[in-house]
Amino acid sequence: MNRLTTWFSAGLLALSLALAAPVHAQQPLKIGFGMSLTGPLAGNGKAALIAMQIWAEDVNAKGGILGRKVELVYYDDQTNPSTVPSIYNKLLDVDKVDLLVSGYGTNVIAPAMPIVMQRNMAFMGLFGLNVNSKFNYDRYFQIMPAGPEPAIGWTQGFFDTAMALAPKPQTIALVGADAEYPALALEGARAQAKRTGLKVVYDKTYPPNTVDFSPILRAIQATNPDLVFVASYPPDSAGMVRAANEVGLKTRMFGGGMVGPQFAALKTQLGPLLNGIVNYETFAPDVAGKFPFLDQFLAKYQGRAVKEGVDPLGFYLPPYAYAMMQVLEQSIKAVGALDQAKLADYMHTYEFDTFVGKVRFAKNGEWAVPRMLTVQYHGIAGNDLEQWMKPGHVTVLAPASYKTGAIMAPYHDNKK
Amino acid sequence: MSNRTFAAAAFTIALAIVVASRFIPNDYFFSAAYTVLQFIILATAWNILGGYTGYVNFGSAAFFAVGAYSTVFLYKALHPPLPVMILAGTLAAGVLGLAVGYLTLRMRGVFFAIATLALSVVLYTFVVNWDYVGGARGAYILQPREVPFGLRRYIHLLYSAMVLMTALALVVARAIETSFIGRGLAAIRDDELAAECAGVPTLRLKLFSATVSGALMGMAGTTFPFYLSYVEPSAAFNLSYAVNSIAMPLIGGMMSWVGPLIGAVLLGTVQQVVQVTISSAWNLLIVGVLLVLFVTLAPNGIMGWVDAWRRRRKR
Repeated sequence: MNRLTTWFSAGLLALSLALAAPVHAQQPLKIGFGMSLTGPLAGNGKAALIAMQIWAEDVNAKGGILGRKVELVYYDDQTNPSTVPSIYNKLLDVDKVDLLVSGYGTNVIAPAMPIVMQRNMAFMGLFGLNVNSKFNYDRYFQIMPAGPEPAIGWTQGFFDTAMALAPKPQTIALVGADAEYPALALEGARAQAKRTGLKVVYDKTYPPNTVDFSPILRAIQATNPDLVFVASYPPDSAGMVRAANEVGLKTRMFGGGMVGPQFAALKTQLGPLLNGIVNYETFAPDVAGKFPFLDQFLAKYQGRAVKEGVDPLGFYLPPYAYAMMQVLEQSIKAVGALDQAKLADYMHTYEFDTFVGKVRFAKNGEWAVPRMLTVQYHGIAGNDLEQWMKPGHVTVLAPASYKTGAIMAPYHDNKK
Repeated sequence: MSNRTFAAAAFTIALAIVVASRFIPNDYFFSAAYTVLQFIILATAWNILGGYTGYVNFGSAAFFAVGAYSTVFLYKALHPPLPVMILAGTLAAGVLGLAVGYLTLRMRGVFFAIATLALSVVLYTFVVNWDYVGGARGAYILQPREVPFGLRRYIHLLYSAMVLMTALALVVARAIETSFIGRGLAAIRDDELAAECAGVPTLRLKLFSATVSGALMGMAGTTFPFYLSYVEPSAAFNLSYAVNSIAMPLIGGMMSWVGPLIGAVLLGTVQQVVQVTISSAWNLLIVGVLLVLFVTLAPNGIMGWVDAWRRRRKR
């Protein structure tokens, strides 16, 4: 009998502890997303994930949000859009996350939109291109600084810089890959050419798996354009730059919309071949003063990135992935709750102070004012990474408030 | 069991599954099941030409994409109801299948396989340069806000349509297998010249097989634009469709309609589970190892292994 009483008491104690536990222990605040950890965009996805993990650690070190520790719940979307619906449904229905953010890029943001909209969730997007133009969802926000009209905002700096050249350029060649981003960038470039009165002397696309770009560059050279605007993904960007050097391309400005030179891999691979090229960046050490506190983040990021084997510079995407989470954090703290409608209202109304500067959202959820940096590379010698970490090799040409110097034109005379 | 009885049973079970699923509150089930069902149709369809007839088709993604892009085209042009888009996509892919059937006149074995791969590249290039369906930028296909039949969400409708289409694909595959057509296709697979000499109408049967196979693969793609809401060429022509359509019948067994079903359920479910449990580069490795193991240990697939086991027991 005595033994039975002991067992009964122990059982009762265990039961009461189990019931009491949820009351005393605060549930973590779960933020869910899919991220490309394998597949073609895994390099960017992993870099963004490191940034988001650093943010979660920083926030938890300060006691979390609303007194709750932050927990990131994420799955590998394999850079495959068809995995996205089931990932986001699982996050909501099985993992019961409190908030959602997107993975990297348009392809994986768009498939999540119907689910997010059905649940009326506020949704932060990471580098999606004009995703909300069709959905018109008033709780969608996007952290890439391309502005309310991304196609225009993306190309604005290149064309503003070009039209300030003396004498004014008359002709332009447009070339890009048959893929999603290049198509949008070329669309923007065509609109800018029309606006500025430039005559388009070459406007062609190439298949995404093209490896030899010399014939393309020779065909462009035959039209003798004043400007050459290129919209390409990293492998083609490398091919284009190499081909331009092989062919000895003669033009006043070359570049514009090449994805790739923003990353350490291409910066070190191409090295001096990048000299003279005008392209876009989202950060440059030359304007570090305009990004207060970013150096603290980059120091943490760069230490981890080397171990994880991802972009060791982390200038392009990681600061914005961190900033995306800062927007969410500041909104929740200001609203004091996880009410999705109030969070979205707050994001629409107020300006955010983030590691990438002040961020204010337009009605469609994009940045209210575009802030893509148009830069020119110069003085690059050798292929070491160190030179890219210091100011002096990247002149910011636009926007005006970030300008650090004047363009050196023509391209073919400034390849050093 | 006669084909009619099987068809009645298959559609009754499909309807029962659709009705029973209404009580599942979890949307994750519907999206994960949608993907697995999509692979069942693709594997079953591939097996009609690849397994029954012995013509290996590496262009499954092209047929799938034809189904998907016919929906995109119709959505933009006429905005018809979903069943019309499913029917149109199935017919369009069937016509492409017929064209592929004519390829078998001159090509066999590895040459045919490469030709189907090339077909996929040709169609990809065509779609990339066709601006009306979004071209390289892709197209947005918005899910309607009103969902019919009292369903809560549009994914429930897509899932229900997929269940019924899966039943149809299985009924068609079984009917072909158990009829004179199936026997003719088996003869072509074993020795086409001998089959021709024995009076098997090889061309007609191959055309039929390629058309039905293509049509069913296209059918699997017709609801895909609504599932994703955004279709761009690299998603619709994704290599995973071509690889899975071959791997699943290989694992399940290519000699009967049950093989692709088992292979697709097994591999599709493993992929879904691994994706949300391991969630790293390891998931690709695990699926790869599983494939190698099955191909090595059970070269005739699970059904082949089961048949061999049965034969041993009888002895």
